[in-house]
Amino acid sequence: MTDTAMEAAGLGKRFGRRKGWALRACTFRLPAGRVCAVVGPNGAGKSTLLAHAAGLLRPTEGTLTVLGTSPAAARERMAYVAQDKPLHPQLTVEDTLRLGRELNPRRWDAAVAERVVADGALDPDVKIHALSGGQRTRVALALALGKRPELLLLDEPMADLDPLARHELMGTLMADAAENGTTVVMSSHVVAELEGSCDHVLLVGAGQVRLAGPLDDLLAAHTLITGPAADLDDHTVIESRTTGRQTTALIRPGGRLTGTWRSTTPTLEELVLAHLRSPEAPPLHLDDTVEAAV
Amino acid sequence: MVEYRIDRRTGVATYLQIVQQTKQAMRLGLLEPGDKLPTAREVVEATAINPNTVLKAYRELEREGLVEARRGLGTFVRKSLGAAPADSPFGAELGDWAVRAREAGLERDDVAALFTSVLDTYFKGEQG
Amino acid sequence: MTTTTALTAPERPTAQRTGRLHGLTWTLLRVHRSALWFWILYLAVTAGVILWTYGPGADSALAELTRLGCRDGDPNLGCDTGSSRVSRWDTGMALGSTLITVAPLLIAAWAGGALIGRELENGTAQLAWTQSVSPARWLAAKLAVPAVLIITGTLLLTVLHRMLWTSHLELARWYGSWSWYDSQIFEANGTLATAYALLGLALGVLAGMVARHSLAGLGVGAVAIGIVVQQFQSLRPHLWPAETRKGTGDLGMTVGTGSYTSTGARLPGLLCGDRAACVARNDVAGVYRDYHAASHFWPLQLMETGLVLALVAAATATAFWLLRRRTA
Repeated sequence: MTDTAMEAAGLGKRFGRRKGWALRACTFRLPAGRVCAVVGPNGAGKSTLLAHAAGLLRPTEGTLTVLGTSPAAARERMAYVAQDKPLHPQLTVEDTLRLGRELNPRRWDAAVAERVVADGALDPDVKIHALSGGQRTRVALALALGKRPELLLLDEPMADLDPLARHELMGTLMADAAENGTTVVMSSHVVAELEGSCDHVLLVGAGQVRLAGPLDDLLAAHTLITGPAADLDDHTVIESRTTGRQTTALIRPGGRLTGTWRSTTPTLEELVLAHLRSPEAPPLHLDDTVEAAV
Repeated sequence: MVEYRIDRRTGVATYLQIVQQTKQAMRLGLLEPGDKLPTAREVVEATAINPNTVLKAYRELEREGLVEARRGLGTFVRKSLGAAPADSPFGAELGDWAVRAREAGLERDDVAALFTSVLDTYFKGEQG
Repeated sequence: MTTTTALTAPERPTAQRTGRLHGLTWTLLRVHRSALWFWILYLAVTAGVILWTYGPGADSALAELTRLGCRDGDPNLGCDTGSSRVSRWDTGMALGSTLITVAPLLIAAWAGGALIGRELENGTAQLAWTQSVSPARWLAAKLAVPAVLIITGTLLLTVLHRMLWTSHLELARWYGSWSWYDSQIFEANGTLATAYALLGLALGVLAGMVARHSLAGLGVGAVAIGIVVQQFQSLRPHLWPAETRKGTGDLGMTVGTGSYTSTGARLPGLLCGDRAACVARNDVAGVYRDYHAASHFWPLQLMETGLVLALVAAATATAFWLLRRRTA
């Protein structure tokens, strides 16, 4: 097994010549076994990125490899759940799982899929179109997990779930990751819902990778400081706000902090929001893709 | 068995919360030597946190010599931290003190703040 | 990796199930179950109409003609107008061949809409592509499974229709309103019905691939097959060298008519009739007619079938090319 789950080099995608770039010059590396959050505002390119990884789109430029090979060659070893959880509405839950078995004859684990469905107390004979959004998500997830993927790609998986279902399904996902070492990549525009679950972050903004790396390293590379307004030239200032005599800033420390600053480590949400509010802040790659720092 | 309760708003790292809650359970006698800690799978299924966080917490507990991982079996408590089980004299004294504090009109937060500051004074340098 | 191998091992026996549908074929038939039932019903109704016309319909029409004394070589005036039973037989002829020739339109609309367009629109195509099925295999199954059902069904109907057409020539010749070269009869009596049904599938699939939307796919598919069939129908008489005969009269499939001069030169399209001035001015010596006799049925049929199948191949190749260009 390769130790890299996903790797992009200069990945770019343009839909039609007249439209702008949905993704541009994306370079990052995701080690295997991680739970990676792909965060960013709506329309940033998260879905496009995941669809490329799933082999549903062909890059306009650059490359994207998954599990050490092309997405097309890794099709059997990964699973993908699209944002709107497409399923055949006229099929029953049971038939939908049978579809998973029929289309993944070499990998299907019926017990896993059935357990995910049973955990949600779903009647196998009910048709998909009669399910609620949360139940549909559960079936889509059962289909994905039943495949026993090495890489699980989830596009906004929790978007239409109530808090209880969200917690349950995230628990199911994490349990699968714990048991099988599955690499999970999930996108969300609600950062808070991923905070405890992910250990790797990819921040996408306007088609570019703004932050990439292990969550702890990214948080440690930034400091949230408050104190009397002062010179911060030694540091990379991501965002700073001055109210009266007090300045609050998120910085990447470039040396020792002088002065009477009160400094704390930011939360993921603070980190992401600061970067989104400051589109011109330089990107930061802590995932050892050296050439990315251009 | 112990059940972890993760509070995202405390600002305390998730793995530390697991470490603290495990130690707490050992101190209160809820976990005794030979007891098995929940598997990472069980913890993350219930809490929806990252499995690596649980493993990190267990490694930390192992490093402190409190638990040991037995391959293929799980993680087991190695020694007791039973300095102050819930029914020890200290517990009773603290209970009396809490009653007095409430009668004196202190709020829960006041008591907690007071307790923390006393801890900070007398247990300096020891991370909770 | 070891976990995966260990876990897949017990699943092997399921993959080796024999004698049952599985994989993409099962999926396709399950997802499009209502279309399958509709097709079976359509075949049953069409076959029923043809068989009724062939058996009871023809028998009662002939019995009535006998009763009216129209079959004894000395027909009376009433025989020309036919009878209600003969016209019922005639309607059976019309209905049977119409159902056969309308099928390509329905197939194209279904293929463009439900088979491809809807799946691309609501993402269930992408759902299949992210299982262990490549987009190309998915499309191949989408073409192959319906193609088998379409060929089987349409060939069956064609055989029945030929049986009907050749069995009661007396009725057809004297009382029916149909000729071998009428487009719906011509198509229903040979390989063309099947070729057009396949073209309906191929054009529908292509329309669905282009439109990526169920309603648009349905519309584009139906319009495309309609236009192509119409073009072929006007091209049809020119697909094989015609015979020429001087004089007029109904000889078969007409390719063209006109006049010829005393030198033998042809004046296509010119028909003077009784107008002497016209005859004199153009030096018309007589009229001619280019036509196909019934013996040209198979050459014409096979030429057109070949062209239609070439178009099927082209549409299919284009659909695959589009798919390859879009997906990884």
